[in-house]
Amino acid sequence: MSAGATGRRWLAVGRSDSPDTRTAAATATRSAMTGPEPKLVIVFSAITHDPAAVLDGVRQVAAGVPVVGCTTHGEIGPGGPTDGTVMVAALGGPGITVTTAVAEAVAGRQREAGAEVARCAEPLADQPHRVLMLLTDGFVRDQESILRGVYSVLGAGVPLFGGASADGWRMTGSHLFAGDRVLSDAVVAVAIASEAPLAVGVRHGYRKVGDAMIVTSSGGGRIQTLDDRPALDAYLDRLGAPREAYTDVEAFRDFALLHPLGVQRRSGVEARNLSTEIDLEGRTLGGGSAIDHGALTWPMIGDETSILEATDGACEAAISGLGGPEPVGLLTFSCAAIRATLGDDGIRREGERLEKWAGGVPFAGFYTYGEIARTRGIDGFHNQTLAVLAVA
Amino acid sequence: MALPVAESLHVQQLLELLAVVTSLPDEESAVQGAAERAAQALEAEVGAVLFGDRVGAAIGFPAGTVPVADLRAVADGGRDWLDVPGLDRCRAFAAGWGGTHPGHLIIARWDEAPFAAEERGLIRGMARLLELTLTTLRTLRAEQAMRERSELQAVENARLAESLREQQRLLIHVSDIQRAISRRDPLQQILETITVAAADLFGDDVVGLWVRDRDDPDRARLLSAVGLPTAHLPAMPLDATGAVGEAMRQGDVVLVAGYGHASPAIRDLTGDRLCASMAAPVHENGAVVGGLLVASYEPLRSYTLHDQQKLGAFAQNVSLALTDAHTLDKVNRAARDTLTGLAGRGPFLEQLTEHLAAGRPAALLFIDLDRFKPINDTFGHAAGDHLLVTTAARIRAELRDADLAGRLGGDEFAVMLRGVTKLDEAIGVAQRMVRRIGRPVDLTGHTGHTVTVDASIGIALSSDARDATELMHHADVTMYDAKRRGRGGYQVFSRQLLDATDARLFKPFEA
Repeated sequence: MSAGATGRRWLAVGRSDSPDTRTAAATATRSAMTGPEPKLVIVFSAITHDPAAVLDGVRQVAAGVPVVGCTTHGEIGPGGPTDGTVMVAALGGPGITVTTAVAEAVAGRQREAGAEVARCAEPLADQPHRVLMLLTDGFVRDQESILRGVYSVLGAGVPLFGGASADGWRMTGSHLFAGDRVLSDAVVAVAIASEAPLAVGVRHGYRKVGDAMIVTSSGGGRIQTLDDRPALDAYLDRLGAPREAYTDVEAFRDFALLHPLGVQRRSGVEARNLSTEIDLEGRTLGGGSAIDHGALTWPMIGDETSILEATDGACEAAISGLGGPEPVGLLTFSCAAIRATLGDDGIRREGERLEKWAGGVPFAGFYTYGEIARTRGIDGFHNQTLAVLAVA
Repeated sequence: MALPVAESLHVQQLLELLAVVTSLPDEESAVQGAAERAAQALEAEVGAVLFGDRVGAAIGFPAGTVPVADLRAVADGGRDWLDVPGLDRCRAFAAGWGGTHPGHLIIARWDEAPFAAEERGLIRGMARLLELTLTTLRTLRAEQAMRERSELQAVENARLAESLREQQRLLIHVSDIQRAISRRDPLQQILETITVAAADLFGDDVVGLWVRDRDDPDRARLLSAVGLPTAHLPAMPLDATGAVGEAMRQGDVVLVAGYGHASPAIRDLTGDRLCASMAAPVHENGAVVGGLLVASYEPLRSYTLHDQQKLGAFAQNVSLALTDAHTLDKVNRAARDTLTGLAGRGPFLEQLTEHLAAGRPAALLFIDLDRFKPINDTFGHAAGDHLLVTTAARIRAELRDADLAGRLGGDEFAVMLRGVTKLDEAIGVAQRMVRRIGRPVDLTGHTGHTVTVDASIGIALSSDARDATELMHHADVTMYDAKRRGRGGYQVFSRQLLDATDARLFKPFEA
């Protein structure tokens, strides 16, 4: 379908909207397997497909090549975002080396699981450029601890990139692909080493509303109070939320998707998604990893303009991070909440923006339940962002 | 006081660290948590805790490759960088603590710019908090062991609970200070939040927050206190401030027990009842700018190592809060006159301007000492200073709390009588002031003499002036008129007086 190559490294993508899962998976894989020495196949499949059949279809075509992937809340690639399709990216060439690892039964031992999978990058330590791509189960909490475990093994020298699997907003469970297995409650890691640069960029497009609210009580990964008021009410009041958001889970989710909670960090405000851990009874807020007592927070809003600026920012950061060489392809993981904010027309324009930055080389990705991007510092799990990996 | 909320970021980060490490159950996890949280707060790649040559925690290096000797060199101050595999050279900074279990918190960041002064302050604050937490955890562990051996389980349980409550109280108080800053509370209120918090944390009779005088670094002023009078207190020499002066000089927590040889100033302030005190330095951008004192009238009060660590940690938090808010800068801008403790010229005019701009009335007294210069010249500056300090005290003695007295320079003073609209009221104050200032002043300690000076006072009402500048001008020319008419008296402003003065000043040259 689309391929970028230097002769020694290549990335290609394929997509199929065939309603027959095996056909869709095989067709997409065939379109992506265009270069010599394929090293990795990455599958992004709509939740509507049977995951086992997806793997069957992929492996029919890509026998002997490591396969990883996950289910999505929409597939991203050339021609615009789609639902109900199978999207495949393949990577290869003599200049690329790949190792993979899987950790299972992750919930409750996230840090340990992160440390386990990170070891797959150790054999590639002598390669000039490395990145560890992680695909996690979007239904596992405290994903930051997975990254802490990874960091404890790899240290600061290896950038991290990845995303959390999604289930098309069904909220019943998502799947990961690893070799010939369909997994949940797992982490799949791919260490990619290359003779040429690999670079990661990440941005969110939301801005603060009003004065800061201080976390005056927190515990168990949840914010109990903001400015001494029940956190959920303080958050909704500040934004003038509709009445039903105070009492109805669906209404709160719809509202929170568009209004992340900003948390002050040294270099800016980090956006946290409040829509997945809703507690109308206790009136508390949950935003992924813990937000501690004393933190300065703001409700945030975003619109198409600000989000598309962030699209530009993430792409620009990844491509310029290559330090000169042109990319052979991009992996683009965008948050499911961004999709909610942008709407169908908006995500089409986001796709056009990605296409412009790709400049004719292939790109592939999905709408996630969380993005992973770490180049500086120790944190790397994000909400409401676009994370981009540029491969030179 | 308008503060961008983001300025309290460093306090937030310290609070977050405190919240994390105090929630961890044992020393190992607290050390690991502190290293991670400190690195996270500074967006650094490396966070490490070193106890001598033993690595308590280290993140940022590939597993099994922690460069202990390099970390040790940073802790010892021998270098300010670390080589981290896969990155270029990283800037490094270490903050240490002493006591029975000394250690260092080391942070390294992949950045060309070195750590800013406030970031170094943050790392020091985090190191202090870690020290405090580790001491608490060790105490808890020791008490747990004792409890298992002892029959005094109930007593130990109570002590255990108290230690935990103390940690929690520290957290709550620091949070209160942060919120006071974030809410943009008035400066004095923020300072009072700090001293009231310290009073609650230590339960002592006296707490004082002192700040080094900008113009005279050998002096300090008491800005806010519990159990001490702060109103109109002049700056005092560091030597005369006891533990707080020593803490500022040493840059560390200082204990003083026994006050038999305390300075007269301290004895005056405390009614000669002080038994024990402890003070910690307060920093701004790494430099000692003040001190936080806690003191007790209890003869049996002694401060434990834990108390010292707690005060050190709290003072470090206060330092960050004040630095974040540029609070001390504002204090300096609102500086009082070093010698007399009255408002300086600038702050006096600012407050007068603000008061009038808000549409509120006032009467202004412009006061000038008669024959001050010959006394100063004859008996020397020390005698002159004593005379000015005495005059300032006598002026204050005639004022209500709401009024404002300022030293405009030399032997010129001014008083704003807030809300006064009637001349009779202002005249009454001026008359009493003239009488009181005119009493003999004992300079025997300086000269062996007693001297008498008079004051000339000009009175003007804000209803006759468009703004503060004009009101000052009115009171000034009226004071000169009073002086012209004879020493030791007052005059009331009138339009005719102004015209006459202007006529004298602007009389055209005659051809």
